[in-house]
Amino acid sequence: MIVILIVAACGPAPSESSPASAELGSEGEIVIAQGVDATTLDPNMHAETPTSNVNVQIYDSLLMRDAEGELQLSLAESYENIDDHTWEFRLRRGVTFHNGERFDAKSVKFTLDRILDPDNQSPQYSHISAISEVEIVDDYTIRMHTRDPFPTLPSQMVARQMVPAGYTGEHGGEHLARNPIGTGPYRFVSWTPDEEIRLRANEEYWRGMPTIRDVVFRVVPETSTRIAELQTGSVDIIVNVPPHQAETLEAGEGTAISRAPSSRAIFVGMVTTEPGPLTDRRVRQALNYGVDVDSIIENVLMGNGVPLAGQPVVDMHHGFSGSLDPYPHDPSRARELLADAGHPGGFSIAMDSPSGRYLMDRETAQAVAGQLEAIDVEVALNVQEWGVYVDKIMSRQLTELFLIGWGNATFDADATMYPWFRSGQQFCYFEDDALDAALDLARETMDMDVRQDRYIEIMQLLHEEAPWIFLHQQMDIYGISDRIEWNARPDELIHAYEARLRADD
Amino acid sequence: MTSYVARRGMHAMLILLGVSLVTFLLMHLTGDPVTLFMPLDASPEDIAVMRSAMGFDRPIMVQYLHFVGDALRGDFGQSLRHRQPALSLVVGRLPATMQLTVLALLLAVVAAVPLGVVSAARRGSGVSFAASLLGLLGQSMPVFWLGIVLILLFSVNLRWLPASGRGSIVHLIMPAVTIGTYSMAMLMRLMRATMMDVLSQDYIRTARAKGISERGVIFKHAMRNAAIPVITVMGLQLGTLLGGAVITETVFAWPGLGRLLIQGFHNRDMAVVQAAVFVMALMIVVANLLADLTYVLCDPRVRYG
Amino acid sequence: MNRLRSLLGPASDRLRAKRKFVDADALWSSSRRTRVRIWGDWGAMVGMFLVAVVVFAALFAPLVAPHDPYEQVLSRSLRPPWWAGGTADHPLGTDHLGRDVLSRVIFGSRISLMVGVAAVLISGSAGTILGLLAGSLGGPIESIIMRLADVQLAFPFILLATAVMFVLGSGLANVIIVLGITGWVVYGRVVRAEAMQLREKNFVEAAVAVGCTPGRIIVRHILPNIVSSITVIATLEVARVIIAEAALTFLGLGVDPRIPTWGSMLADGRQYLAGHPWIATFPGLAIMITVLGINLLGDWLRDTLDPRMINGQ
Repeated sequence: MIVILIVAACGPAPSESSPASAELGSEGEIVIAQGVDATTLDPNMHAETPTSNVNVQIYDSLLMRDAEGELQLSLAESYENIDDHTWEFRLRRGVTFHNGERFDAKSVKFTLDRILDPDNQSPQYSHISAISEVEIVDDYTIRMHTRDPFPTLPSQMVARQMVPAGYTGEHGGEHLARNPIGTGPYRFVSWTPDEEIRLRANEEYWRGMPTIRDVVFRVVPETSTRIAELQTGSVDIIVNVPPHQAETLEAGEGTAISRAPSSRAIFVGMVTTEPGPLTDRRVRQALNYGVDVDSIIENVLMGNGVPLAGQPVVDMHHGFSGSLDPYPHDPSRARELLADAGHPGGFSIAMDSPSGRYLMDRETAQAVAGQLEAIDVEVALNVQEWGVYVDKIMSRQLTELFLIGWGNATFDADATMYPWFRSGQQFCYFEDDALDAALDLARETMDMDVRQDRYIEIMQLLHEEAPWIFLHQQMDIYGISDRIEWNARPDELIHAYEARLRADD
Repeated sequence: MTSYVARRGMHAMLILLGVSLVTFLLMHLTGDPVTLFMPLDASPEDIAVMRSAMGFDRPIMVQYLHFVGDALRGDFGQSLRHRQPALSLVVGRLPATMQLTVLALLLAVVAAVPLGVVSAARRGSGVSFAASLLGLLGQSMPVFWLGIVLILLFSVNLRWLPASGRGSIVHLIMPAVTIGTYSMAMLMRLMRATMMDVLSQDYIRTARAKGISERGVIFKHAMRNAAIPVITVMGLQLGTLLGGAVITETVFAWPGLGRLLIQGFHNRDMAVVQAAVFVMALMIVVANLLADLTYVLCDPRVRYG
Repeated sequence: MNRLRSLLGPASDRLRAKRKFVDADALWSSSRRTRVRIWGDWGAMVGMFLVAVVVFAALFAPLVAPHDPYEQVLSRSLRPPWWAGGTADHPLGTDHLGRDVLSRVIFGSRISLMVGVAAVLISGSAGTILGLLAGSLGGPIESIIMRLADVQLAFPFILLATAVMFVLGSGLANVIIVLGITGWVVYGRVVRAEAMQLREKNFVEAAVAVGCTPGRIIVRHILPNIVSSITVIATLEVARVIIAEAALTFLGLGVDPRIPTWGSMLADGRQYLAGHPWIATFPGLAIMITVLGINLLGDWLRDTLDPRMINGQ
């Protein structure tokens, strides 16, 4: 198969003169198309997946996740929990940044401190604001002191990418954002905003030289256009393929599909903290019985989803209960429950949904609304642009039902459970004193097995209380050209380091 | 002439000030940049800390006056998302936007003027009918639909043109056609109507009576007079092209000003929206001014008092 | 022509004045003019027919449509039209939620026509009132109104629409309001220019001389003379508004996606264009037919109502 790299032919050609590149074995180019551009290449100053996808090529963190989502060492050589309020990390020696600067404890302290300084306005601040002090023990040992016990601190170190203290201190964050220097597998070459970012293999990478020499990120906002680009062979990996197109790409010549269940749970939240039918547990259960999740997965998502197992977290999260099942689709049971709760003729209710934020979100919302109408619950559906939606979320002005997705990249139940079910938290629309106590206890339990047991009890309670209409775990679908080998990961990230060119092209 | 330009300059300043005030108020009415900037699970305390660090806790009028003061010195502030001066972000998009707009307008004019003239001169003919139909169709297709259909046809099926992106001139063809079609249709219908109007005027009859050839009548006398409204509408169309460009830029992944503006709005990135709206408004105002001044070139009898 | 010329402001007013000094001549071929009428009538007939079809569909949608346009049958999603392997039960196929495309297109005519007409009523009245005030009264009121128009023209439509939708929330009524608010400038400019000209005319001056109040002059003497221009613009604007509704939906600012509007069907269906083209094609055709019909009618109205087009003086 001959692939015509239109981008390579027409884009600003990088210098081809480096003789070293021919010998080092990195070769070829892959082009990755995302819907939006990276906003900054300063890895500590954003909280977005598309931006992370570029930054993970350039920077490393103390820890990383492997293709199965398991926590692995990266720039840390080991780490341990010294006491309830202290974590210690030992750092890998001999790692240098792309500009030759040494990676050591100074880099770590500098990086974490700049996130923790409110004047720097980092959107990652709240992820680690529990850290009270970062202490350099020696050149390759660092300690993090926390205000409260912080058992999920290691998970938070996956997305805290290390920047060079000397370079950043000298030139400032604004310079770093445009001229990134990291320890990662790829060096920055050029960035044409809203168009493309070009990266070139870092031949001295500490994990070993990357196999692919050039990585290009292109911005193609419209889904149909991204698919056309893949079909014409101009790009190699595209994100967010709609389910009905997946089959076409799978069958198509030169294209394939890679999919992975993500950590994101899609559900319909219910406001139980205001008076209304939803304050009654029977009504909430009825809505769960009324929605046919399997049919939505089969017909709207074309099989690209896994039903939530009657609880807010998914099986890759620590705290998942394996003994719970999804609510079955049972409209007559739903009508009985509604009648018991005093709504024999159903009721009317409003529902909010974002548009274009999650895979098939507005279609899913329409399907849910249609199914609820079959059990006489009339739904007034209100679909909004994401910016508007976020504002409604943050000002707690969502309607009684609202479709939303919750990604939990820490792979620990706490990051879902605490914000959604602890009274007084931003997303808590279901308040219960016993639940609050259980969540507080589990959150500060450092022993992972004991934590697991405590969360399983909580999951049982939430299954019965049904504070959400449990829908599905999102499946991330990528289109790939068959000139490369690459597998989708559960953390929504694309590591070009893991991709290979097929030999026979 | 000089006083006319000066007066129009004053108007332009007023318009730009008005536009900036409207933008500012709209942005404040439509949401909170701080909450959008932070992750969903940020605590209210964290948000409050960030709000005061960004200066969004000051009264609105104070913020606006600060903004105008800075803008007069050419400083539109920092983009929250991009961590760069907003104006330089906007200026960085100008080349792509100008390429697309200019080529679209050029295509529109090159197609519209001859079609309009011919269909006016030969009313009732097949050419006239075809041109009318083309004009009507061009005005009845939503831009995004036309764009996607073009991609499916010329990129996926025929493999003649690249589906999206920016690079060589071939990348420009489909976006320019997509965005220019509406303007082409509009200008064509205008040209046809104006020509028909002009051709029915008394002085044209006189010209014909004097025995000037039909070709001469059309090119020497009628075209010149019909050009004036067409030029004005071209000036006004620039606004439509810049505005409609958002959708075309999205479909064809074209890195232009429109996408920057809409992303800026979605992120409530105040500084970027202000700078982008300002630059767009400036281009529209200048284009209209130029269009008005072109009258003088087209028709020496038009004088400005 | 009135519309276009007046859009242009002062320069074209001068243009118009200038044309008067050339002598009259009857050489203008009468045969040509006859052909114009035939084409005009022919186009008008086609336009009339197309609009009549759409209005009929809108009025009798529940009788004509084979299915409930809201009914979702997920297990029957993405069925092709009957001639492409589908069933006669769904002649134009079904969409991604198993809804009948034909029924949605038929019911969509109601919404699209309503959005078009209602938005044009809003922008037409607002523009006419402001234009009349500016053109008849002049002075500071005129300056304020015309600067407002300039500001709006220089302001990106998309941003204005997004912002207004944000403040008001989404929904059909708000889509109408947005399209109404953003469309007034055309009427405002045209009406002002016409009113300014009429102000100089003898019958208006006479009315002023006999002591008519400004309000009476506007309503009794100026308004009737500009109705034709407003009508012509309004027809053309209905077409523009129907397309603009589709653009709003593309940007995620439209109505409840279950409501069958052509715009939202088209915007939703664009993702399926490659594999399931019928979802977006039929609402697209419906928009085209309607806009074509209305534009043909509008052209004919313009030619008929603008006296200069017929007797050429």
